[in-house]
Amino acid sequence: MRQLNQNRIITILVTPALLFLSLFFLLPLVAVLGSSFRGEAGGVTLAGYLDFFRDHTSLVIYWRTLRLGVLVTVLATLMAYPPAYLLSRMPARRRALLMSLVILPLMTNPVARTYAWLIILGRFGVINRTLMALGLTEEPVRLLFTETAIVIGLLQLFLPLMVLPLVGALENIPDDVIEAARSLGAGELTAFFRVIVPLSADGLVMGGTLVFTGAITAFVTPAILGGSRVLVMSTLLRQRALVAIDWPSATVVAAIMLLTTLAVNLLLRLFRPKMV
Amino acid sequence: MRQSRWLYAALILLYTFLLGPFLVIFIAAFGADSTLAFPPRGGVSLHWFANVFQTSQFIESFWISLGVALLATFIALLLGIPVAYALVNFRFPGQGVLETIFSSPILVPGLVVGFAMLRFFVLFSGVNVFTGLLIGHTAVLFPYSVRVVSASLRNLDPALEQAAISLGANRLRSFMLVVLPNVRAGVAAAFILAFITSFNNVPISLFLTGPGVTTLPISMLVYMEYYYDPTIAALSTLLILFTIVLVQGAERLLGLSQFV
Repeated sequence: MRQLNQNRIITILVTPALLFLSLFFLLPLVAVLGSSFRGEAGGVTLAGYLDFFRDHTSLVIYWRTLRLGVLVTVLATLMAYPPAYLLSRMPARRRALLMSLVILPLMTNPVARTYAWLIILGRFGVINRTLMALGLTEEPVRLLFTETAIVIGLLQLFLPLMVLPLVGALENIPDDVIEAARSLGAGELTAFFRVIVPLSADGLVMGGTLVFTGAITAFVTPAILGGSRVLVMSTLLRQRALVAIDWPSATVVAAIMLLTTLAVNLLLRLFRPKMV
Repeated sequence: MRQSRWLYAALILLYTFLLGPFLVIFIAAFGADSTLAFPPRGGVSLHWFANVFQTSQFIESFWISLGVALLATFIALLLGIPVAYALVNFRFPGQGVLETIFSSPILVPGLVVGFAMLRFFVLFSGVNVFTGLLIGHTAVLFPYSVRVVSASLRNLDPALEQAAISLGANRLRSFMLVVLPNVRAGVAAAFILAFITSFNNVPISLFLTGPGVTTLPISMLVYMEYYYDPTIAALSTLLILFTIVLVQGAERLLGLSQFV
């Protein structure tokens, strides 16, 4: 009787949300996947995918997207680890202030955030002016609409997603553990790689997943800093759907983005250390 | 414990990289010349700020963004709070599957969600642009509302609710009078987080906005395709200040960064 009652309560609580998501979110996504496998004459076919991966241009775009994602993740790890360690050892009050500054790029209007790099990397931006003033170059260097520009913009956007989980994992390591390693003769670097990194692996995997999946699906940053000159999957999807209005090929791009993200999430879930 | 100097150097480098660009925007917004040269050469001016308020597409899209963000956040909380309550308080078969479904809108790339909704819901059903936009935003905000509210429900002492029930309140009454007031900080944090997420959203809006119904970030993108003057820098300055006030306030009151 009590069990029955409880089931009724649960049903009442979750049904509205479940209906909402099924109808407006899950169903359209399933339709995208389904229609990406449908041939022009009907029936199931891989033709859309074969067209995509046989086409040199789209293949280049796919690999570029993944390559930039890996690059951003690696750079974010290198840039985030030392400051995250320092943050995790700070008194709570100072850490809270600094952490609220870390999340600022995540919370800012994406166009506003990216616009700054337009000014910094532009033909007559800070970097080119400095280079010319130093006499290192006569003509402005092309920095905008390059892969480098996209990586810089993505790095600023997604560094917070690496810093936050790392600080969370690092603050759980007691000072004693690190001091014990030191007093047993480990140097600073040995202590870092043999003790601190393994104990914070959870945060690293978590941050890595967030940064990588974020980087390969971000839109505004590559749209502004890469433009139509350096396309990635997201800007390609926009171009095929809203500029070329080629629904079938846009659907395949969307399905590939979806499947890639899901695969990455599943793959990284296997790496999540099952420690206490 | 002595901290090495290079750790501090790395910390300063990180913050310079994260926050330096904001400083660049502030300075550019006050420059008088109409190109994007930096640092600006022609002296100080408030002209571009005035221009923001004279550009009708920014004003109109600001109100639409505000309306969508408030409504979508409200609906997402209305759907999400009961789900959070069920997931935290009960153990039932299929719970894992439900949790995955409920968090899936943040796992799926926003651009794919926007595209899928446009092609397989909005164009099919013929709903008006605003409704489509609102539904799209609500779906994406929903996981935040569940996650943040769940976190604060988990910290709540179950004895509180049991006391209310043993004193004769039914479940609904005890929820409204005891549980909800005690997790109001979590609900407020969820509200702010969802509001900011919607207000800044581009991927969903890119596909679901239409003629006459545009959000602020989209109208900024469109403006940038045609004009290359610092109006966007001035508008960005205003938006960044707005974000700083909101985030600092929320951090101080609610500890927002633990929920991100």
